[in-house]
Amino acid sequence: MVRSQDAVLVDEDGVLLRVTEDKVVDVLVDDRRVWSFWTVRDTVCHASAEAGEEQRLAPWPRPLRRFLDGRARITVRETVSERVLFDAEVGFGSSTSPIAIVGRHGEPLSLDKDGRLSATFDVRDPSQTGPLLDAIEEVIEVLGQLGVEAFPAYGTLLGAVREGNLLGHDSDADLGYVSRETTPVDVIRESFRLQRGIGERGYRTHRYSGAAFKVEVAEGDGVVRGLDVFGGFFDDGRLYLMGEVGQEFRQEWIFPLGTCTLADRTLPAPAVPEKLLEAMYGAGWRVPDPAFKFEKDPHTQAQLNGWFRGTQVDLRRWDRLYSSRRRKLPRGRASELAMLAHRELPAEVHVLDVGTGRGRDAWFLARKGRTVTGYDYLPHAATAVIEEAAAKGLPLDVRRLNLLELRSVLGEGARAAHQTGPRAILASHMLDATYAVGRQGFMRFARMALRGGGRLYAEFWTSKTTDVRQLWPIPVAEVADLITANGGSILHATDTVRTLSSGVDVGVGRVVAQWA
Amino acid sequence: MGVKSWLNRSPMRRIDELEERLRVLEQDNVELRRHNLRLAELTDVVQELLVPLASRDQEAIDAAIEKFTKSL
Repeated sequence: MVRSQDAVLVDEDGVLLRVTEDKVVDVLVDDRRVWSFWTVRDTVCHASAEAGEEQRLAPWPRPLRRFLDGRARITVRETVSERVLFDAEVGFGSSTSPIAIVGRHGEPLSLDKDGRLSATFDVRDPSQTGPLLDAIEEVIEVLGQLGVEAFPAYGTLLGAVREGNLLGHDSDADLGYVSRETTPVDVIRESFRLQRGIGERGYRTHRYSGAAFKVEVAEGDGVVRGLDVFGGFFDDGRLYLMGEVGQEFRQEWIFPLGTCTLADRTLPAPAVPEKLLEAMYGAGWRVPDPAFKFEKDPHTQAQLNGWFRGTQVDLRRWDRLYSSRRRKLPRGRASELAMLAHRELPAEVHVLDVGTGRGRDAWFLARKGRTVTGYDYLPHAATAVIEEAAAKGLPLDVRRLNLLELRSVLGEGARAAHQTGPRAILASHMLDATYAVGRQGFMRFARMALRGGGRLYAEFWTSKTTDVRQLWPIPVAEVADLITANGGSILHATDTVRTLSSGVDVGVGRVVAQWA
Repeated sequence: MGVKSWLNRSPMRRIDELEERLRVLEQDNVELRRHNLRLAELTDVVQELLVPLASRDQEAIDAAIEKFTKSL
């Protein structure tokens, strides 16, 4: 362990500090900031603290740990005063090579304000951030053509007003607009319209909630950056801005818009940006805080959640689960359910594999010569299967279906219903991977897709074990009731016990149903 | 229930009842807020999907569905 004069210690566990007050500090690896934290809020009391002295440990964040094998110069300094608390060469693990915290393309990475390892702006040069600034200008202009006056918001507004530039510890850019609409339903409809308008201009977009979406922008070296567009509105003297804001606010603090400077660009800004920054970050917004965490007001969050959110539940969890494996073909046998469906269904039946995940069953059925469409919350989880099927010319495609989003269910349901030929649905561990709202969405989709005759094969856990993570068991009777309430007839329903490879017994439900 | 009979109840019971009413009101509020997103989604489907689906041209229908699902 290396010890400095300020009694700060840095080793494989983390940064150990002598703490007198809560301050934000930066950790630099070879002169480059990779992490910032608050000395009380983000630390734990250290077990070997000496008497009369509070020593606290900031453990290395999980995303950084995998890089810590080798040697590097570590600097710990206070963010605001820039006072250096520790500065020395430190060795980690068994390697003696220099530590390099870089991404797949060799781009330097650091932890952004959300704790994600990203190519933050402090390691980007102007040739790399230029396309993002271009996109900010272009998206603001397009939004203007579509009828809303957008401006940099949250971290991007803070950077512009406080530093005249993108914040070094930020990794995305935010835009906001205050709608002339006054009810959430109209604000949502407007946000749908804006997303379409942006998409029609060639940008890839992704919706977060009823009032926020992301525009993807490729930077100079191919790093894809998110440009988040947050909707807001006034209601009875209160400003609501998606994300975090809900408080009394004067219209004249927003309109007419003024200007701000971001790098070398002049951009629109709220009339009194300081007021909006105070609403977003509190009265201390002028003091830099690379480890800032929003103190969420529970009432505002309940309002914004109720009005706008609920269509992306657990999406990040599923994304994390699949992110490292999506380029690998799934191994192992197809599910027994897929094999049963294949035995029972005539060869010409098009199988819709809902909740296809990495596409193991879809891949099995396509290789048997069937036409298969996989559906998933995260279609890119099946990237390897999609690419392999395309290379081999197999009739397999994978589409996005969000069972929590009515538009997605109705759109994909209408598409399936309009296709010619017989269809069947396979749902292997889909009903136990979603929630009541998702199951209702699934039944709506099944009812539409199987209208005119089609079979559903569903399998799900009926009892919980520690071996079956990510899934929530559901009784067979509940599934059967849902099916009959949605116009299906149960052909076959069982609840049996299966012994997993770990030796643990688990209840498995299977239902085969027919729509007429 | 009349005000008089309500006031005649024990303070603890009144607090319990008020807490229960508050819980129900909060739940009702959550349910009401949810209608915003649902209504917006339904309106969007009618505008962007149902109207094109009224066409008898299968190609136009397929194109409208594809355009709609891609725009989400």
